[in-house]
Amino acid sequence: MKKKILTKEEILHLAKLANLKLTEKEIEKYCKQLEETVEFVENLNELPTGKVKPTSQTTNLTNVFFADGEKSKRTFESAKATENAKSKKDGYFVVKRIM
Amino acid sequence: MKLLGKSLLELKKLLEDKEISNKELRDYFLKRVRKYNPALNSLITVSSEKAHPTGVPLAIKDNFCTKGIRTTASSKVLDNFIPPYESTVTQRLLNHGLSILGKTNLDAWAHGSSTETSDYGPTKNPWDLSRVPGGSSGGSAAAVSAYISPAAIGSETAGSIRGPAAWCGVVGLKPTYSRVSRYGVIAMGSSLDCPGPLTQNIEDAAYLLGIIAGKDLYDATTSSLPAQNYLKELNLKNKLTIGVTDEYFEGVDAETKRMVDKSIAIFKKNGHKIKKIKLLSPQYAISVYTIIQRAEVSSNLGRYDGIRYGNARNYFADEAKRRVMLGTYTLSYGYYDAYYKKAQKVRTLIIEDFKNVFKDVDVIVAPTMPTSAFRLGEFEKYPFFGELMDVLAEPGAVSGIPAISIPIGLDAKNLPVGLQIMGNYFNEQTILSLAYQFEKETNYFGVIKKGFANYKD
Repeated sequence: MKKKILTKEEILHLAKLANLKLTEKEIEKYCKQLEETVEFVENLNELPTGKVKPTSQTTNLTNVFFADGEKSKRTFESAKATENAKSKKDGYFVVKRIM
Repeated sequence: MKLLGKSLLELKKLLEDKEISNKELRDYFLKRVRKYNPALNSLITVSSEKAHPTGVPLAIKDNFCTKGIRTTASSKVLDNFIPPYESTVTQRLLNHGLSILGKTNLDAWAHGSSTETSDYGPTKNPWDLSRVPGGSSGGSAAAVSAYISPAAIGSETAGSIRGPAAWCGVVGLKPTYSRVSRYGVIAMGSSLDCPGPLTQNIEDAAYLLGIIAGKDLYDATTSSLPAQNYLKELNLKNKLTIGVTDEYFEGVDAETKRMVDKSIAIFKKNGHKIKKIKLLSPQYAISVYTIIQRAEVSSNLGRYDGIRYGNARNYFADEAKRRVMLGTYTLSYGYYDAYYKKAQKVRTLIIEDFKNVFKDVDVIVAPTMPTSAFRLGEFEKYPFFGELMDVLAEPGAVSGIPAISIPIGLDAKNLPVGLQIMGNYFNEQTILSLAYQFEKETNYFGVIKKGFANYKD
């Protein structure tokens, strides 16, 4: 099997997507470990899956409905919802400027 | 009154009959926490007496949100998180008059099989403090094994209940996926996560499952099949056909193998039919699990931004970051089909494989873990060591079937060994009943009693 080589740029791109800041040492480490993992899971290619349907959940449940308002019993007031936040104002979460 | 080793149901009866007061009972376990927890590091938070004054106290894995009690998932990201709401599992336990003694240690975010990736230090195996308890529900298993708590709640994504139950010598039940609500459980692999009990006997496991199982308005993936009174139907009415497959004995330590064979002979002696079956190699389940779980982890851990609660993302430790990175990779453009979709397809094959086998057999038995407990530090040395240890649990996990691990004796190192019974979807009753019969017959070769005897009052 051809070995997949991950570049530093690819690792940095993934870290950006995942919103993680990595040190140089971590970049090097994850590069190696990701490669190892990708090699490790290659055995799946031994199994033919041409016509097999993918499984995204095992419950076979479909269209699970609930009545409007049925779940409101556990709704929080904003004071309760924000009580764990480090930065808040007038019952709102304070976030970084995005525009 | 001598309380050491009394089961959850026995303690409940003592309370109801007023043979013992709520305060006495709580003080008894708090005393044991003070005496033994510093060495074991099983509980990372003890709940205040004011919050939970009455009822038999239970240890709850610290990835279940408990209103007013710090909930960390053993990660410093949530070091200061006090949930404003109660998980459905803990709410149902409280509704049934049980209480929360404290929160147990786990691998951070339940990522691991040894409880060593906890940001609050590893839990030690009560049978040998130089060894790991297994994971990720290591704190819960250790709490039951050393009778710091009469019973505990854990959660399993792949092996996280069965593994530590086997290595700490207790009973651990992973219910069918969707049998127990995940509402308020800090999500790891959402298509895999199953809450379940860790106990010293089958009656307690059946009782706890009866409480926590069932449809929940707050988890749309819970099954609408009504939960049973598992406790009432524990006596087996029929002889069963028990499937045994060579694939689950490959690479298993010789002593573990011998002990499992001995237990299979006991099932046979009790009149059950042993049938050789063939299943896909569990090696494929490791790969399916590795891909799907990391993908779900990368999505689930996306919500921890430090804005609404907890600390910022730089508080994530190594294992969580590695998993998020891999999950992001397999889900990213260009690789999705090769990895994620391929894994989903093989997941279908594993499910079909089990469904076919369950046409011929009632249950499948196998070792729970390939060996007994490892020493602290071993897991870090080898890549995939955790997954390799969980190999025998992973097919059941990715397919969503229920399974139970029970102790079957001590090996030459004086460490517990576990056997697992896997059942068909929603057939928790049969695996509990077969385990119950085994318990009556063998008393688990004294494993649980010996465990308690190492931790005197």
